[in-house]
Amino acid sequence: MPIEREVLMEVKNLRVEFKGGSKKPFVAVDDVSFKIYRGETFGLVGESGSGKTSIGRAMVRINEVAGGEILFKGQRINGLISRELDREVTQKIQMIFQDPMASLNERAKVDYIVAEGLYNTKAYQSEAERKAMVSQALLAVGLLPEFASRFPHEFSGGQRQRIGVARALVMQPEFIIADEPISSLDVSIRAQVLNLLSELQQQRSLTYMFIAHDLSVVRFITDRVAVINRGQLVELADTEELFANPLHPYTRSLLSAVPIPDPALEQAKVIIPYDPLGHDYAVHKPLWVEVTPKHFVLGNAAEIKEYRQRLA
Amino acid sequence: MEEQALFVLAERDVADAERSGYSDYSYWGSTIRVFMKNYAAVFCLGLLIVLLVFIMVQPYLPAQRDPNEIHLSQETFRQLRNVRPGAEFWFGTNSIGQDLWARIWSGTRTSLGIGIAVASWNVLIGIIVGTLWGYVRKLERVLTEVYNVLDNIPSTIIMTLIAYMLRPSISTMVIAMGVTGWVPVSRFIRTQVIIIRDREYNLASRCLGTPTGRIITRNILPYLVSVIMLRFALAIPGAIASEVFLTYIGLGLPLHIPSLGNLINEGRQLMMIPVMRYQLIFPSVVVSLITISFYVMGNAFSDAADPRNHV
Amino acid sequence: MEQPLLSVSDLYIKFSLRGRVLTAIRGASLDLYAGETLAIVGESGSGKTVLTKSFVGMLDANGWVDAGFIRFAGQDLAKYRGDGQWRTIRGKKIAMVFQDPMTALNPLRTVGLQIKETVELHTPLRGMAAKNRAIELLAQVGIAQPEQRYHQYPHEFSGGMRQRVVIAIAMSCSPQILICDEPTTALDVTIQAQILDLIRQLQAEYNLTVIYITHDLGVVANVASRVAVMYAGEIVECGQSREIFYNAQHPYTWALLSSLPQLGIKGQPLFSIQGTPPNLFAEIKGDAYAPRNPYALEIDFVKRPPCFQVSPTHYARTWLLDERAPRIDPPEAIKHLRAKFVEGAACR
Repeated sequence: MPIEREVLMEVKNLRVEFKGGSKKPFVAVDDVSFKIYRGETFGLVGESGSGKTSIGRAMVRINEVAGGEILFKGQRINGLISRELDREVTQKIQMIFQDPMASLNERAKVDYIVAEGLYNTKAYQSEAERKAMVSQALLAVGLLPEFASRFPHEFSGGQRQRIGVARALVMQPEFIIADEPISSLDVSIRAQVLNLLSELQQQRSLTYMFIAHDLSVVRFITDRVAVINRGQLVELADTEELFANPLHPYTRSLLSAVPIPDPALEQAKVIIPYDPLGHDYAVHKPLWVEVTPKHFVLGNAAEIKEYRQRLA
Repeated sequence: MEEQALFVLAERDVADAERSGYSDYSYWGSTIRVFMKNYAAVFCLGLLIVLLVFIMVQPYLPAQRDPNEIHLSQETFRQLRNVRPGAEFWFGTNSIGQDLWARIWSGTRTSLGIGIAVASWNVLIGIIVGTLWGYVRKLERVLTEVYNVLDNIPSTIIMTLIAYMLRPSISTMVIAMGVTGWVPVSRFIRTQVIIIRDREYNLASRCLGTPTGRIITRNILPYLVSVIMLRFALAIPGAIASEVFLTYIGLGLPLHIPSLGNLINEGRQLMMIPVMRYQLIFPSVVVSLITISFYVMGNAFSDAADPRNHV
Repeated sequence: MEQPLLSVSDLYIKFSLRGRVLTAIRGASLDLYAGETLAIVGESGSGKTVLTKSFVGMLDANGWVDAGFIRFAGQDLAKYRGDGQWRTIRGKKIAMVFQDPMTALNPLRTVGLQIKETVELHTPLRGMAAKNRAIELLAQVGIAQPEQRYHQYPHEFSGGMRQRVVIAIAMSCSPQILICDEPTTALDVTIQAQILDLIRQLQAEYNLTVIYITHDLGVVANVASRVAVMYAGEIVECGQSREIFYNAQHPYTWALLSSLPQLGIKGQPLFSIQGTPPNLFAEIKGDAYAPRNPYALEIDFVKRPPCFQVSPTHYARTWLLDERAPRIDPPEAIKHLRAKFVEGAACR
């Protein structure tokens, strides 16, 4: 038996709503539960509007939680929490944003952008120490320390995204949520940023949650993947297991649509359409079931039975 | 062929490519550079500086008269009324024999002073209230209600009422225009704040635990510099116009404090007599120059302060 | 050899930005043949959008064609000035579809009216006839219940549906060439595949020539019969789709293919291109890609490489193809590309 791994982050029955005026609130995330183990890269995959970003933002406490709990090392971090815990969570959980053109403060120098978290936590003794920490963070992401005196618009997209990574790193985080960190970058730059993230993970034993819609990237970088559709998780498994044995029809559809950069294969590919009305949930409500060890899927009794048969 | 020698693999550090192509940049430096390229605006700025310096030193120049002194004829000892512009009185005299040249520059001093004071106050309070209103969600309800109440009272009525209740003086004018003048500014700032408050870079700052005060001063306000400057530049002539209006309805400054408002008002009364029109034209020209200059300059500066226009 | 439908030769396009001149296109040459699907691949700033915008006279006001020709239907489009001239081409013979459908649609008018308007502008149809044509177009781009949808506003459509509407507008005047600028980048993969299918279908029906601008090699593999790779304002390699994917010659194309995450091995770093693209304000000497190219020759820093013909349909701009150059094999990673994808796909 493998040793029980430490759960770093746990999301229990999470619900996120957005209120639009007097109308009924829009439910972005509905009853989502998963665990993230220390040291792994957990992928969260879904199409636009699926609620994947809302989950990430709830975990860094930008979005309010309408129901359920978010636990960090077993402690609840949503809602009202003590000042010490708030401080710890602010420091230990960091986020990398999607669009490096929008996520850096254009009117501040790189020095301030990278050091912003340090100012907030007063994690340094002297100005010299702060500067040294900024230089270190810049070097760690492959930028030169002299870039500190420049403004973001002087950098290319890839460099800006690395500044965003440096800003998170300087806090000495344990858990980083990367929300589509490479989807707005050019192909030639994506690899740089992906490599940087993996390298940092090894050096600093970081845990990642990688939010993405591009399955080829997800397959390369994640250890486990959860697939989300319309605010609900539909499947969760080890990455290779999920790609080898997708069970939920939505997952199968999504996998069938992944573009393959090869003319012969891409033109021969057959897309499996997904019909959300294909489920018969009128009588038997779907449940979140562990079909085989570590492979979870959403389905009612009949579907689960079929999935088990398919795996057997 | 010597080119042959070049067909060997180059030994160069690929990391050099990272270093290339960037220049030193400073926000204010670029802003000023872009502004300076707009010749109309630079001309207006020059004009305003000259005007400002001139009205400061004018009383100390030789052969200047007191703006309130009533000039009497040496022979008849009667007031030199409505003397037309000439060598003696450059801009002529008014209907009780005061020197218009002296009165116009003294009036410009007063009016510009009022304009700058009112504009600074309105923009300052507008920024403070507007950012809190736009950014701090807890205050949103309260401030919206306060705004609704204040906005529904016509500001001219408040202004007139205050100017009517208090003794006419410069400070009365400033108070009358400042008591509600900030309300539209704060609304404007609030709208601007709402537009940028949920941008990703602000979410990033919130993730890092940056306190609201610093988000406002470091993330929000720097983005609003250009619109605030434009608003400020337009508020100065706006305040001068209000002063003219208050004077017109008879609540302006007393005649012994010349201002562009009461000069125009006096000139207006003589408007129908062609030979006396100079009494309206001179102060009007000054007001127009000030208004146009601030407008042109404000727009140019607001463009220049937008980093999208920097190269 | 077949006559090209549109032919670009040695095109230079410049922009003036606050007194400085930026060279966006540096001597690009490209032929487009009737009925084909050409994909233009490149990263942001490579000039792929600028190049195609010059075919329809949609360069920003501060940009101009500095040298070169764009031959189309017996005319040189590079000499066209003013909207009057361009109106005979733009929308009529060459239509464009952009990445974000919302920028092409007026949010305050129903989609039906917007299509009807373009129909009336470009065809003799008027009134009811134009309306019927608009409904027909909506049906053709795969919008169900076109009569009802005709009266709806753009915000009532999903992203994929909006892109269909934009395509319907582009098709309203039966153009010869359809330029699609990243038409599916903003869409989800499943929707993306549908839109690509739709364009393919229309292409067959109308004998359209399609230019795709994209940075996604998956899209390229899906749609392209020919591929042009752009870097820093020039076309560095151009050939049939198979030739680019299986027999690439330019080190930049190698690098693009090598950095595909599908080729990555878990736990090992992905291949990545070092450095950043060149500054287009500066004069570029030699090969623009040289500073980032691990296979750069000394001559790359001195002299701009000419086009070397690899096959009648395939050419590349790299000194590596010169007979005096040392023999350099393409990187191991991109050899037997298909086998590697099959391996990956087999797991599914």
